Amino acid sequence: MIRAIAAIALCLLLAGSLRPVAAPGPVAFTEDEIETILSHGPWPMEWSHDPTNRVSGKPEAVAFGRQLFFNTRLSANGQVSCATCHRPGHSWTDGRTLGVALGEVDRNTPTLANVRLNRWFGWDGATDSLWAHSMRPLLDAREHGLTERQVANVIRDNADLACGYRRAFGAEPPADDELALVNVAKALAAFQETIASGRTPFDDFRDAMAAGDAAAMAAYPVAAQRGLKIFAGQGRCSLCHFGPNFSHGEFHEIGIPVFRKSGGIDWGRYQGVKLLRASRFNRLGGFNDDTDPDSGMSTRHVELGAQTYEQFKVPSLRNVAVTAPYMHSGHFATLPQVVKHYSEIDPANLHVAHIYLGDEYSLNEAPPTDDMLRPLKLSATQIADVVAFLETLTEKAPSPPPSAAGPGPCVMQAR
Amino acid sequence: MPRLVVAAAIVALSCAGAQAQNCGTKLEGARTLEAPKHTLVFRTEPAKITVGRHFAVDVVVCAKAGGAAADRVKIDAHMPEHRHGMNYKASIKALGDGRFRADGLMFHMPGRWEFLFDIESKGGSERLTSSMALR
Repeated sequence: MIRAIAAIALCLLLAGSLRPVAAPGPVAFTEDEIETILSHGPWPMEWSHDPTNRVSGKPEAVAFGRQLFFNTRLSANGQVSCATCHRPGHSWTDGRTLGVALGEVDRNTPTLANVRLNRWFGWDGATDSLWAHSMRPLLDAREHGLTERQVANVIRDNADLACGYRRAFGAEPPADDELALVNVAKALAAFQETIASGRTPFDDFRDAMAAGDAAAMAAYPVAAQRGLKIFAGQGRCSLCHFGPNFSHGEFHEIGIPVFRKSGGIDWGRYQGVKLLRASRFNRLGGFNDDTDPDSGMSTRHVELGAQTYEQFKVPSLRNVAVTAPYMHSGHFATLPQVVKHYSEIDPANLHVAHIYLGDEYSLNEAPPTDDMLRPLKLSATQIADVVAFLETLTEKAPSPPPSAAGPGPCVMQAR
Repeated sequence: MPRLVVAAAIVALSCAGAQAQNCGTKLEGARTLEAPKHTLVFRTEPAKITVGRHFAVDVVVCAKAGGAAADRVKIDAHMPEHRHGMNYKASIKALGDGRFRADGLMFHMPGRWEFLFDIESKGGSERLTSSMALR
């Protein structure tokens, strides 16, 4: 009995010692805010390979993917590579409002840092794997402008690339154009999975909070602490910018204009779900290497409803201060503009609330509001504080491009 | 004669009550919801729902006295305060004997979620709800 009591007491003591301590500091966080802040870590997240891609994590495939990523042969004019828009020295984006390769596209270029953590890929989530998503720009007339056959021929006809292919897949580039394209995309994905952002001042603060280390917490700027309190508290930004990667990986309409510069409306997720379902390269198709029957669970059950109109993916906020401009169309040039948008948002202008209520909503009633996206009416100082917090999500030292070190130069095989 | 009718009614109610009480007894850790004509018992699998992870729902529906057996159950969920539902549509299989299984649900953000169960039977339809807070 005494032993049992002692054991329980020990457990309680241990539990107490592991409990985060809200150290006295310039900003007092509530218990809920502390729990939310802790949920944004730890960082980095544990590596896990992509089971839909049999060469995910394979060094030879990463090396081949790197070869492909920076190779301008994979374009109709021989001048465009993936790195044209996803520039390693520019946080894997391009700083433009809209991406430009062979021509201008309709959306802003998202960063590739931590891209492996997504469930859906692209602003509209039209693909459900990184490899399927990697095909899309190769075949888009405004980006790389190639056909399946041209992609396959580039691999077959170039000795270095053919060698890289052999090492990655253990076979010669196939005669089947479609299979060659899929495998090129899987190698590109294997490389992109290695692109990750490093630790940030926020991560240090979060870990110090978890450890109850008041001295380490004090090193975090006070303005950033005030901004973090708004972010995790009254702003409820963490609901969508959720978890260690600051995104729940799903979609939302936030009142950004959806008229394309090239004309027409960008339907966002609505079009994305339609494209996903129509694709033979989705997880329900024969190119998925995952044998788990639940691999296609999200794709099988994703809903194409009116609520998906004009929704776009909630982006990660890691490195957000160095990946301007913002939103799917690059609508905002600066972070203060973004925070101000949320601060002044009018939920009645979001059609999602009207759709939700359906027949129950009468035009004679006051417009329904979305309680999540409510105007915060932040002061200029508060907006600056939130921006100060967002700036602490920038990695302390830019991560170097993943090493070019591969399995060494190719030796031509006798044929 | 009136005594006999009352006694029969009491017996019938007792039987229905026992049936409702036993509804879903094999669903360990289940929650029970009561509608006028049906008792619904459900549990999620896994028991602890995680933000952004798919889960399933096992359901047992039992008819109360005067209620017809459930032909169909629709299972959905939404966030009332946020005025949106799930981004995924559950697929529901009838397993017989009032048992149903829904796959493919996902709560994609933290907050208060509300399950919506629509029981359809020859006697009409009934809606039951159950709230939970997801951290």
